[in-house]
Amino acid sequence: MAGAKLSRRKIAAYFADEIADGRNITKQLAAYLVESKRVREADLVVRDIEAALADRGILLTDVASSRELAAETKQAITAFLKQTTGAKDVHIRSHVDPYLLGGVRIDTPGARLDATLRHKLNQLTASKI
Amino acid sequence: MNFLMQFAATEEAAGGDIFSTLGIDWRLLILQIIAFLILVWILGKFVYPWLMKSVDERQAKIEESVKAAEEAEKKAESAQEEIATLLKDARAEAKDIVTTAKDEAAAMVADAEGKAKTRAEKIVADAHDQLQKDVIAARKALHNDTIELVALATEKIVGKTVNDGIDKKIITEAVQAETAKERA
Repeated sequence: MAGAKLSRRKIAAYFADEIADGRNITKQLAAYLVESKRVREADLVVRDIEAALADRGILLTDVASSRELAAETKQAITAFLKQTTGAKDVHIRSHVDPYLLGGVRIDTPGARLDATLRHKLNQLTASKI
Repeated sequence: MNFLMQFAATEEAAGGDIFSTLGIDWRLLILQIIAFLILVWILGKFVYPWLMKSVDERQAKIEESVKAAEEAEKKAESAQEEIATLLKDARAEAKDIVTTAKDEAAAMVADAEGKAKTRAEKIVADAHDQLQKDVIAARKALHNDTIELVALATEKIVGKTVNDGIDKKIITEAVQAETAKERA
């Protein structure tokens, strides 16, 4: 992997395939980025990998809420995501942000569902003329 | 009585001639007649023509003066008529000027009234527009203030009232709504 400069898309596809097959090559990826002096692209590579994983039925999603989500709620969200995206496997990264007041914000590669009270309040405030 | 006596004595002395009786010397008389005729001739030759010429000249001057006076009178009459005509024309012109001035004044007054009316209407319209703008601005400000107030109040209330149960319900309803939306 230390030869010619690979595109992020190829890197993401390769890494997604490896993860889908059950192999963890995170260290190799990190080493490649350091060696090829592309550490600054790490976030973009991760985002592309998540998108590539989503294409392979593995959905990594960030879920933010004002309180810790109950297991039942997480299951409902997982079912919802499976149903709407067609993913076979859904992994949730939970975040607690009291600023959101209530509700939930779900970020998937390429999409966002913001059902928080903060968002509704922001929409209300944005309706000012 | 003395006078008569003297006359009789003279008559006797003269010898009975009537000229002598009357005391007239016929030679002297002839001389006087000749002198008279010479005088008449001289007068007719030198004095009368000069005198008549002077008289004629005087008469001509008088006639000329009369004629000039008549002409002057005619001119005066003509001038008077001309003055009357001029006065008449001047009065007519003055009347026209006054009429024109009145018309112009009336037009100016009408124009000024029209402009004043237009300006007043514009002022009223501008004031109305400004009032409308102020009302709209006030409504906007009220609307925005209300939204701001509602948002702040909601944030305060929600921050205190939302518990785990309510939060769960909110999330569940949101997920169900999105699911229904996807199905639809």
